[in-house]
Amino acid sequence: MNGLLVPVLMILFAPLIGGLVYGFERIIKARMQRRIGPPLLQPFYDFLKLADKRKMIVHSTHAFLGIMHFVSLWFALAVLLLGGDLILVIFLHLLSTSLLILAGYSTRSIFSHLGANRTAISILAYEPVLILIAVSVFMLTGSFEVASIFSYSEPLLYKMPLAFIALLLILPIKLKKSPFDVAEAHQEITGGVELEFSGIFFEAIYTAKWLDYVFCYTLVYLFGANNPLLGIGLVIFVFLYLNALDNSSARVNYKQMLRFSLIVALPIAFINLLLTILHLS
Amino acid sequence: MKLSSFRKKSPWILHYNAGGCNGCDIEILACLAPKYDIERFGMINTGNPKQSDILLVTGPVTKRSRERLVEIYAQMPEPKVVVSCGVCACTGGVFRGMYNCEGGIDQYIPVDVYVCGCGTRPEQIIDGVIQALAILEKKTKELEQSVRLKKEPVKEDTQLNRRNIAGEIIKTA
Ligand code: SF4
Repeated sequence: MNGLLVPVLMILFAPLIGGLVYGFERIIKARMQRRIGPPLLQPFYDFLKLADKRKMIVHSTHAFLGIMHFVSLWFALAVLLLGGDLILVIFLHLLSTSLLILAGYSTRSIFSHLGANRTAISILAYEPVLILIAVSVFMLTGSFEVASIFSYSEPLLYKMPLAFIALLLILPIKLKKSPFDVAEAHQEITGGVELEFSGIFFEAIYTAKWLDYVFCYTLVYLFGANNPLLGIGLVIFVFLYLNALDNSSARVNYKQMLRFSLIVALPIAFINLLLTILHLS
Repeated sequence: MKLSSFRKKSPWILHYNAGGCNGCDIEILACLAPKYDIERFGMINTGNPKQSDILLVTGPVTKRSRERLVEIYAQMPEPKVVVSCGVCACTGGVFRGMYNCEGGIDQYIPVDVYVCGCGTRPEQIIDGVIQALAILEKKTKELEQSVRLKKEPVKEDTQLNRRNIAGEIIKTA
């Protein structure tokens, strides 16, 4: 029972945790640029303000798809935290992103279409790597269950450091950080798919972003799974790495992003898989 | 704690240049830079009318940009406030009376705060936005109307007529 309490609490409060991470990230980013930065609770102020705006929608399907994106992402996170199937988690996450893409295509705004195109391309960039990592975990532990990582004798990081490097390379794509933030690109296509959402419906997209943080940092934590100190250390390291990278690099275009992930990150994940198999046999 | 009290904690800004000389735009962007850092008040420059609360307009409204101005204004969900930055957004400034613009943005959309200065200073812009926040807190979610149809457009003889001046200069030369 005790083992279940922490994941359930984390699932229930996932938006809160994600919001705090986002608020903290904004402060860290501001400090890196020698600014003071917004208060820690700023994301929640934004949230409450957006609830108070007049409701405007493009059409009802668009708003519905936006909300379903949030719900299915939360569901994927719940499966991950409860120790479910890793492949299932990855595909549920894919489902939530594709709902967002559908929402992007369902309007007539050109920026929304561009954002949807680019989101689809970024899926193409990070999804194969994630699946290869999941397959290597299967080879190592003999099961796709997340719970089996926790019951494995050693942390994953020592067993497959290359997979961790591959994850580091695709996390900026997944979290839409520069240099791989083509899908969002605020200065270029003003947010892409989230452009047409407003007021309370934008809130679903905004909060889904916080859930994404929790999702990705949980993936990182899995690499130090049965050593909580190592896991937390990894999460902090990745947090600092992502923000430093975000602050110090300029956006590449989508072709470069795709090329980078398919030529650099994917082979690394693949070599990791081969090494894991060789090591076991 | 009412929801409306959070409006002033996270005002998102939309910035539109309706044909100015870019002087005021640079000052607005300077507000976002480390020296003035308006993000510490929670302000973000969103660039997306559907999610923003404050419309910062610079420049006299040229005849090319006025449809866009009204459209952007209409796309912002209420409650919203408009701040006109720079003297040419307030009255037309140095461009008043030219063939391609009428004086000021309040010919087309309701303006809540006027910030003067040709090249407004960042301090003035921040001050204007803070005043706008006080107005924003009192606003409701009701639709607001453009005042364009209720107002007479600026008459030619209330302004300096540059063509006549130019003609006189040519005559004397
Ligand atoms: S007020 Fe002056 S500086 Fe500002 S846009 Fe107009 S002409 Fe340029």
